[in-house]
Amino acid sequence: MSSERSVLGKDGWAGLVVLISSSVLFLLTIGLPDMPLVPVGPGFYPRIVLGLTAFLGLWLLVADYRLQQRHSAQARSSTSQSISNVSKYKAVVMHFSLFAVYIAAMAPFGFRLASFAYVAASSCLLDPPKSAKAWLRVLVLASVAAFVTFFIFERYLAVLLPRGRWTSF
Amino acid sequence: MFELLGNGIATLMDLKYLVPLVIGTFIGVIGGALPGITITMTIIVVLPFTFGLEPLQGLAAMIGVYVGGETGGLITSCLLGIPGKPSSVATMFDGFPMSRRGEPGRAVWLGVYASLIGGLLGAVVLVASTGPLARLALEFGPWEYFSLFILALSMVAGLVESSMVKGLIAGGLGLVVTVLGNDPVMGKERLTLGITTLEGGIPFLPVLIGTFAFAQIMSDIEKLGSEQQLQTEAAQKLNLAVSHVKVIWEILTRPFVLLWASFIGLVVGVLPAIGGSAANMLAYDQAKKFSKTPEQFGKGAPEGIIASEASNNANVAGSLVTIMAFGIPGDAVTAVMLGALTIHGIQSGPLFVTQNGPLAYGMFAAYILAHPVVLMILAVLMRWMIRIVTVPKSVLFPMVLVLCVIGAYALGNTMSSVWILLVFGVFGYVMVKLGFPLAPFILGVILGDQIEINMIRALMTDPDPMQFFLRPISGVLLLASVLSVAAAIWQHMRQQRRGGNLPQEADADF
Repeated sequence: MSSERSVLGKDGWAGLVVLISSSVLFLLTIGLPDMPLVPVGPGFYPRIVLGLTAFLGLWLLVADYRLQQRHSAQARSSTSQSISNVSKYKAVVMHFSLFAVYIAAMAPFGFRLASFAYVAASSCLLDPPKSAKAWLRVLVLASVAAFVTFFIFERYLAVLLPRGRWTSF
Repeated sequence: MFELLGNGIATLMDLKYLVPLVIGTFIGVIGGALPGITITMTIIVVLPFTFGLEPLQGLAAMIGVYVGGETGGLITSCLLGIPGKPSSVATMFDGFPMSRRGEPGRAVWLGVYASLIGGLLGAVVLVASTGPLARLALEFGPWEYFSLFILALSMVAGLVESSMVKGLIAGGLGLVVTVLGNDPVMGKERLTLGITTLEGGIPFLPVLIGTFAFAQIMSDIEKLGSEQQLQTEAAQKLNLAVSHVKVIWEILTRPFVLLWASFIGLVVGVLPAIGGSAANMLAYDQAKKFSKTPEQFGKGAPEGIIASEASNNANVAGSLVTIMAFGIPGDAVTAVMLGALTIHGIQSGPLFVTQNGPLAYGMFAAYILAHPVVLMILAVLMRWMIRIVTVPKSVLFPMVLVLCVIGAYALGNTMSSVWILLVFGVFGYVMVKLGFPLAPFILGVILGDQIEINMIRALMTDPDPMQFFLRPISGVLLLASVLSVAAAIWQHMRQQRRGGNLPQEADADF
């Protein structure tokens, strides 16, 4: 872990990202053609919005930079704290990844199989089963989430859920 | 008006509508009572179930969730000392101490009846004011609508506690989401970044579902290891028996607290996207300031419970006024309702009440009837509530996310909406971690197209942009926007001068 003081805090980095992304999008609006029926083209309003967000991003960036300059000691402690907190985000990253896999699996395997696997895996990650009863609970939960919801939505609520491209199920 | 309301109530008494209302209210009570599950998340879960229903059936269920959730949250606040939702935090200040000193039944039922009365007082205002306000809004041209939406957005952004700039950025980012994809006036493609999914624009419901559901669930997952264990065993042994007449009398002998708190709740509800969490704290603070015995607050003062609960239920009525009269969601819950209306092809806004009279009065009726329904549900379920609300999160969270997927997928039977759900889930979580408020962001997403459409319409009618300032109502609304931001800046500067550190990462109100 570096003991050097960061030039920017969280807010500063957030402001920088907002500034850069708004500026890039702003530049993309310049090539948009005008419309004959409308006094202002499709790029007019986006330019106002993106100009505003770019300005606010810059404001946040500058404010944070000045704050970091003033409170260097505080910034140092908060930086070390944020680094030490990284471990608590592991679970979050894992759950987001699992959800992404779930969505990706839905097209080839279908809603029922993908949901069954996702709910079982997610439940096990949140509270690892340590007994046969706990495993049974996971299986029941996954079955309800996958099969009972599918049945209710298709049969009674006219919501068609995806079938698997590979499994046709 | 009364005839239409009577018809609405008669319609709602039909089992076809009453059953969704009762089920929605029941789910709302449970969702509101579950710590870590907010009303927004509960209504998101209920949303896909409403797709196959008639509009009034779906909206009755959602209103049931809203009203039930506001009341349900007080149960865990009073009995476990853990607020079921942000708008019950102030209830806990006195509800839990009262419960601990051996009066759990009194604490809970004071809250329930205060909710009932506050909610019904709100209903009077809801029914009486929505029509006139909608008629007033009918006088608006595109200049006034544009200015009204700008006012809503600037108020929400300016009222953010931690940082006004972050509030404004969040609102601006919401507007950016709406400029991606296509121009809402001519349908011209713009800023698609080469992504096919963006060609038709970004649908707001997956954005809303993803942002709120993931921001909350992932924040909870972070804390799971360190979370305090619920004192369920002790709570399960609580005796909740109480004299209901005495409790009602106790509330009615404090008419000022009841009326003032309900009024605060209503006003806060009418203001866009502030929500019940602000209402209950403000009402609690006011009750304490006006009390002859402020030292009793925090030790089980009945006024604290009454103020908090009356305000958060009246807040629901205020939010419904805003969405029904102007088409502006008062909070995230009404934003989901707005989505449900859109799915059924119903245009919200000032014409909503006149063009959809039976539906509008059906919604009023649903709101009124939901209150006695909550009472009946709690009368039956109260003894089992503690057992129900201690369902593990390992059971709840995966189920909620599967229902979110269904909600997003069912919008257009396409997986792209589900990917949008995930993208904005990550985005919402990152926003919360960086201390950006979600309410202005969502309001920006919802109002973005309308702001642009009305701006272009105004310029097509009269190309002079000064009309936005010169037309009286539009000018006043824009002036109010500037004053709202200026007041927020002044407040922040004053706080900084006093040496108070502004909270950098305030508790997110989902």
